[in-house]
Formats: sequence, structure tokens, C-alpha cells
Amino acid sequence: MSNFLKLVLLIISFFFINCKNGKSEKENFAQNNTRDIVISGTMDAELTSPPFVPAPVGNRTAKKLIVNLEIIEKEGVLSSGVSYMYWTFGGTVPGSFIRARIGDEIHFTLSNHPDNKLPHNIDLHAVNGPGGGAESSFVAPGYEKLFSFKALNPGLFVYHCATAPVGMHIANGMYGLILIEPEGGLPKVDKEYYIMQGEFYTPGEIGDRGLQPFDMKRAIKEDPNYVVFNGSTDALLGDKAITAKSGETVRLFVGNGGPNLTSSFHVIGEIFDNVNIEGGSTMNHNVQTTSIPSGGAAIVEFKVDVPGNLVIVDHAIFRAFNKGALGILKVGGEEDKRIYSGVRQEGIYHPEGGTIQEIPISKSEIIETVVKKTLAEKIEHGKIIYNSTCLACHQGEGQGIKGVFPPLAKSDYLNANVSRAIDIVLHGKSGEIKVNGEKYNNIMPKQTLTDNEVMDVLNYVYNSWGNNKTEITSEMVAKVKASM
Amino acid sequence: MGKIFFIFSLLMFYLSNAQSQMETIKKGSFIPLYGAVEAVKINTFEMDVYPVTNADYLEFVKKYPKWQKSVVIKLFADKNYLNEWVSDTIYNVSFKPNSPVTNISWYAAKAYCECQNKRLPTIDEWEYVAMANESQIDARKVKSYNDYILSWYEKPKTNVNEIGSTYKNYWGIYDLHGLVWEWTADFNSIMLGGESRGDGGQDSNLFCGSASIGASDLMNYAAFMRYAMRNSLKANNTSKNLGFRCVK
Amino acid sequence: MIKSKFFIIIISFLLLSACHNKKEQATTLASYECPMHCEGDQTYEEPGSCPVCKMDLVLVTDDKPILETSNEISETSIFNLTSDWKTQNNKSIKLKELQGKTLVMVMIYTSCQAACPRLVADMRNIEKQIPVDRLDNIAFVFVSIDPETDTPQKLKAFAKENRMDDNSHIFLQGSLADVREFSNVLSVKYKQISPLDFSHSNIISVFDKNGELVKQQEGLGVDNKAIVSEIIQTSK
Repeated sequence: MSNFLKLVLLIISFFFINCKNGKSEKENFAQNNTRDIVISGTMDAELTSPPFVPAPVGNRTAKKLIVNLEIIEKEGVLSSGVSYMYWTFGGTVPGSFIRARIGDEIHFTLSNHPDNKLPHNIDLHAVNGPGGGAESSFVAPGYEKLFSFKALNPGLFVYHCATAPVGMHIANGMYGLILIEPEGGLPKVDKEYYIMQGEFYTPGEIGDRGLQPFDMKRAIKEDPNYVVFNGSTDALLGDKAITAKSGETVRLFVGNGGPNLTSSFHVIGEIFDNVNIEGGSTMNHNVQTTSIPSGGAAIVEFKVDVPGNLVIVDHAIFRAFNKGALGILKVGGEEDKRIYSGVRQEGIYHPEGGTIQEIPISKSEIIETVVKKTLAEKIEHGKIIYNSTCLACHQGEGQGIKGVFPPLAKSDYLNANVSRAIDIVLHGKSGEIKVNGEKYNNIMPKQTLTDNEVMDVLNYVYNSWGNNKTEITSEMVAKVKASM
Repeated sequence: MGKIFFIFSLLMFYLSNAQSQMETIKKGSFIPLYGAVEAVKINTFEMDVYPVTNADYLEFVKKYPKWQKSVVIKLFADKNYLNEWVSDTIYNVSFKPNSPVTNISWYAAKAYCECQNKRLPTIDEWEYVAMANESQIDARKVKSYNDYILSWYEKPKTNVNEIGSTYKNYWGIYDLHGLVWEWTADFNSIMLGGESRGDGGQDSNLFCGSASIGASDLMNYAAFMRYAMRNSLKANNTSKNLGFRCVK
Repeated sequence: MIKSKFFIIIISFLLLSACHNKKEQATTLASYECPMHCEGDQTYEEPGSCPVCKMDLVLVTDDKPILETSNEISETSIFNLTSDWKTQNNKSIKLKELQGKTLVMVMIYTSCQAACPRLVADMRNIEKQIPVDRLDNIAFVFVSIDPETDTPQKLKAFAKENRMDDNSHIFLQGSLADVREFSNVLSVKYKQISPLDFSHSNIISVFDKNGELVKQQEGLGVDNKAIVSEIIQTSK
């Protein structure tokens, strides 16, 4: 904290003391009380990959906490069929979650993998000191740097790389969260998760396949083609959805790596009971959407009341449905799963149909472990997928909506070319087509389905409503996928 | 049989000669990305066409054992020096003879060049040659040139590629971009500090002549990262993606 | 702090590995002697008893500390640099000739207007706090970043001007390449900005009598307590 800021706080607190009591002084100068906290003992910090967080600190005393974080530049999946060369703290985007308590003396070793091309460093917003550690941690590939700091302020803090060009290092995924818990720890909850929003800037369109490079011009224009949670459009979808049971309390540690956009963080179908605004000490209640600035964070807590899929979004809503800022919190009730799966979203989002929406479905109830399924089984599974993924537009009997969504029943377009059909399910379709004599010019989003799910759903379609009963094999799907 | 021998000896000739192939770089001036506000004059000099290879370096350590892995002193090279070499005079089997040698310290690179009666290029010399693409002396504003450099950052393990596998530039020099980073004589003249964000406002208390320190074209981030890399190094450091070439 | 720790680790590593070698020698070339030295320095290859006094033979040990021989330098010593320098008295020297003294080193250039006068002042402040009886064991070394301008004559004038023209203050001129190399050993960065102007980092380094880096201070006018106590410690 700068001296100037301290001075301002001092003056403010002086006024507060005059008209209130001494408590505000204590709050405003958390640091004064915490820098003298004595440490006892040493422990290695547990680091976790998103969406998971380490065990709470609980009642433990302040310690010397050893943190070892490794920087890895590696290719990963940004979206289905789209890969990206991520620069990561700990091999994931966002980087490993670090959990400490106030008064901890954190001995931080930052190592830069020898295979990496570039030097990096780390600026932890939890540090009181120049650059947040950036200067002391600047490290060439194949080397490591150690520095230490004392956690003086409680809260949820962003860390990120601050090596030139800073924006590019952040845009490539170099951010994460460090939580400094107050004395005695945070109140106990049933489930805790780690979510971080970030934008990606690539030269082409969203969905352009193959390895996509970083686009500086686009980043400067603040015009991302991807806005995602946890580094990928699929990070919190399908079998990677986070879970809870109805009646449980859930705490989300939410950060925003940016580099540019402020997040309007919202969970569809929930109200946040508690929000630690900006990750600090002010608690707000009964919040619908909380604003998380770039380089900032928030802790949101809520009790999930009923089973179903809660959709996590950036409520700047085109980012959610068109750029990937979408996740699922799946709330169980074992036998209720299917009832709640997907249907809620259809009701809510159907009126928006026609934009490039990716309607997430929960997939874990579809058991993929059955390797050899009979055609009948495939069709049966396909029907489930159809009902949750396709039905909203193509309708219950495959009849479509005339002029808007083409029919799948007795469809000449469908029956003429199986590979094309597979391709459309995998990658989406836009532009004018003619189906059963009617012109359609709309956009179908690519579907977030596994290869087996694509096979099953098409088997259902081809074996229903007077279509030609083509049997789709997983080889056919794989072949179409490979040819792209 | 004779034919094979002929090809083999041609290959050996090529390999043993890679180190001595040089091209003349004609004098000129340019404004580098960093470190000068006015154009810097470059005198005519000669530069190695290729980076120094594993085979070249092996020959060197055989001739000058003080630079062998187990002999070199810590002041001049840290423990990563030649760390994938199997022994003092045998490099890793997976290495190709004419791949660039890496995991070399600045002192070692300097000594190598001096033993060939050459020297390491200055940053300005290196940058002057490296701003050329196939046809232009200064291609720094050409999109394809920058895209090429940037795409290299995304390609893993390019250090195992062979010399000459990138483009031949205007001066007839290969591999300045797309293979490995390269040492320069005055790499430690970059004063950005590890904290890149504060560099705009150095007060003259801390640095003499600080006004002239700064990057001339921040948009040129392809080059910027090269300076950041140099800035992160110490002279006894070595890196898997860092090799060198000589000039005279 | 981190740096000095690092060096302690390196040094202790060197000591350990040196000790380790010794031990290996002892086991491969094991020899035994009579504790009473009945037959002088006679040693035996097998354990047993002395043929004269019948006492049990004991293992020959070599108690000599490794670094006692002061001429030996370690791998991290700056005395490994073989470059040639000229002092302000136009005398040619190699760094190794400074062995035996604690060295307080800084890189400056005499025409510098901004940082260098302050660096020289910092050196002077450090010197002031050193007990007089220690000063004989210490050399304050100023290495010119601008050897083309800073001839021995210029350095001499600079030394006089700053009242530092005596045996404990050494001003050095080297070749361009050697100055660059030296700066790398000190982790000093510098760049020529114009014919008479350089930018450079402000680092004062302390080396012990064997040329091992023991302490560095970065910045101008910073708290010099730590570096002073280190100098006093090293120059014992």
C-alpha cells in the first residue's frame, strides 16, 4: 500500500473515530495488527488445479509456507478442435490455486521449465512490496527464483505474469488466484470451487480449427473472440461440470484474469447469499450479478435449493452464448438428474434461438463406458441427447420450424449425405441450405458432444420420422472429424 | 560404394565448413527497438551464416578441454551447461550434428568465437541483420515477417531442428528467427529490470541517461520478447533454446 | 539476502564435494599408522598392531582444512578472470594480484553526472564506518565502464579530486571486452547512450580475500548497514 493511501486512510479513520468508535481504525489497518503475527513451523502449500481448491486453513497457526510454482508453456484445447499455446502457472489456466492464512510467511519459488522459450515472473496482488514480487521473480527458462513475503491482508487475490509485453503474457493464460484466509479461516461450507474468467484473442473467427496464435491487434482493440471460464469453452461443461447436492452450501472463488474485460458474474437460477465484494472484506447479501474487474476477484456463496443444472455465465450475455463464458454447476438428487437436465435451459433460452448459442447439456448420466452398444441402445441414448440438445429447435418430431429451423423428419438434405450431417453436428452450420424444397438461412452452433454422443444422436435421427435408417458408426464420426 | 563415400565426404565437408561460412553485412543505420532514440550506425562486418552446431562445438571442446562439461569452472557456466551431453566429448544420441548447440553460457560462447578469431555480435549488429526478411533489409513492418517470429514462440522444441531449416534472409544469413535464441556480446546492456511495467518512468537518480532508455516501438512485441529474454539472463546461465553465432 | 544464501549454498556444496573426494581417497588408498609413531612416518596397508609397541594401528587422517592454502581459489572466484587492467598509476595488474584483501567493488565512469557521484559517495560512506585497523585489509576498487575515455591519467585526476588517491583505492581501466566480461561477473548492466553517457545499474559488490562474492548492495543511498557489517566480518 502506498504511503499516500495510508495517509488518506489515516485521515478517514480519524474522522471515523471521532464520530463512531475505535473499531474502524482496526479494520482500516488490518496490516498493523497482522505484520506481528508470529509464525511457528513450516509446511508445504497444497496447490490445486482448477476447478478445485486446497483444504481450508481452519484453525492452524501462521506458518512458514513453502510454495513451488512451475511455469509451463504448453499447447492445450481452447475449444473443440481449436488449440492454443498456453503459458501457464502450474500447467493449467488459470494457474494453481494457492491457499494461505493471514500472517503466513510465504516462501515462493517460481521455476521456469527448461523447454520454455521465454522469461516470466509473477506479480501476486497479495504481496505488499514493489511489483508484487515481479522484480524478484523474473526468471529465465531453466531457472528458478525464490522470494518471500508475509501475508498481511486477508482476501482473495489475483496473481499474474508481469513480463513484457504484460498484456500478452496475461492473455496467454498467466493468471491465477491466491486466497489469504483470516484468523480462524472462512466459515465452513459444503463445496468450494475455483473459477477464473479470461479472454483469448486469435486472428480468425471463433471456432477456426487448429492451433490458433495470439492476435495483438485484437487484444489492443479489446475484441476477444473467446471469453471463457478456466481457460477453455468446455472447462466447466459436460463431465467437467462442477457438482453439488441440493441443500448444500457452495462457495465459488471467482477471479478475472482479463486482460481487458470486466465480468458480470452470474449464476442462472441462483441468488448469491453472500458476496465478498472484490475479494475484500465487505460482505454483500442477496446479490444477483456481481461485477469482477480485470485483475480482481470475488467470493460468492449460496445454498443450492433444488436439483438441476445451474448455468454459470458472464451476464454480458453474448460472451456467454457466443464466446464461451459458460459453465455448469450440476446439482444432484441422484434420481432427479435427468428430469432437471437441460429442460430448464430450453424454457429460458428458446426465445433467443437462432444466434450462435451453445446449449450446454450435462453428460455424465450418459454412461460412455459401454463400448459395444447395440443399435437399439444407441438410438435410446441418442433420444436422450436429442431431447436435451436438439429438440429446442428441431422440435419433438423432427418437424423443425418452417422457415427458421429445418426439419429432420423425412429430410432430403439429411438423407442425401451422412458425412455432411456428422460434420454439421460436430462443427455447426451457417448459410443458406434447401431442405424439402424450403430455403433456410440460419446459424446452427457446433454441439458440445463427444464422438459417441454424435453417433448416438444421429442414429436416433436417422432411425426416426421416416428417415433412411442409416447406421452411424464411431468410425464414420472419427473419419469426418479427422478430415477437417 | 564410392558414390556413398563421396556423398559422405561432401557432407563432412559441409559440416566442418558450416562454422567458417560467413557473409558480409554492409554498413548501414537503423533505429533499434530498444536503447536508442536516434539511428544507430552499423559498420560493415561479417556474420556466420548459421548458428554454431553441436558438431562445431564438440570439435571446440576437444581442442580446448577447459570448456568441457566437467572441467568448466562455475564462474563461467552454471550446472546446466551442456546438461544433455552424455560426457565431456559425447553429445546426446538424439542430437543431430548440425543442430544448433544450446545450453551454452555467454562466457563459453565468447571463448568459442575468440578461438576462431571472431567475436560475438553486439545486440545492434544482431538486430540489424535480423530485421531482414528474404528480400528486404528492414522487414520489421511486414506482417508475414512478424507472424513468422511470433509463430516460433508457439512451436515447441525447435532447438532440435537442423541449421538452415528456416529462411535465408536478405544478407544470406539463416536461422536468426525460428530456431533458437542467440547470445550477443552486450546482452546485459538491457536495463528493463524484471519489473517490466515500471520502466517508463525511471528517475535519473537511479540511471544515468535514463531518458534514452525505452522501447521505440512497443507494438513490435515480436522483438520485444527477444529483449525480455536477453534481459532475464546472467552470463553464466545456459538455456535449451539459447545458442549463438560469431561475427568478425 | 537470497543471493548471499545462494552463495553460501554454492560454497558449502563445493566444500562438501571436496570433502567427499577426500573421503573416497581415504578409502581407496587407506593406510594405517602407529599412534606412537614408533617407526616415524611408517604406514601400513592393513590394520593390525605396531610391530614395536604392539599398540593398535589407527587410520591415517588428513586434518588439513581444504581452503587453508590461501593461493587456492574456488571455481566461483573472480580471480579466475585473467584479464589485464591498468591502475590510476598506470600499473598493469591482474585481478588475482588483489588476492588477500577484502574487495569492495563498483563500476562507474568519471564523466558521469548523475548516479556515479552518488555511488562514489556511497562508497565513501561505507568506508567511513569501517574501523581504521581494518582498512589495511580492504581495497576499494572502481572499475571504469568507459575505458576509452577513462585513461589512467583521467582516473588519477578523478581519484585526486575525490581524495582517494592512495593505496587502498584502486581505479581500473580495462579493454572494452574485459569490462563487459567483468560487468557480467558483478551482474552489472550498462549501455552506452551517447559518446560520453552511459546508463548502468548501481551495484556495490563485496568479495572476500579469495575473490568470492559475499554481498551485493543495489541502489543509491540505500541503507548500508548490512553491507558494512559484511565487510567488517569478511575483513577480519
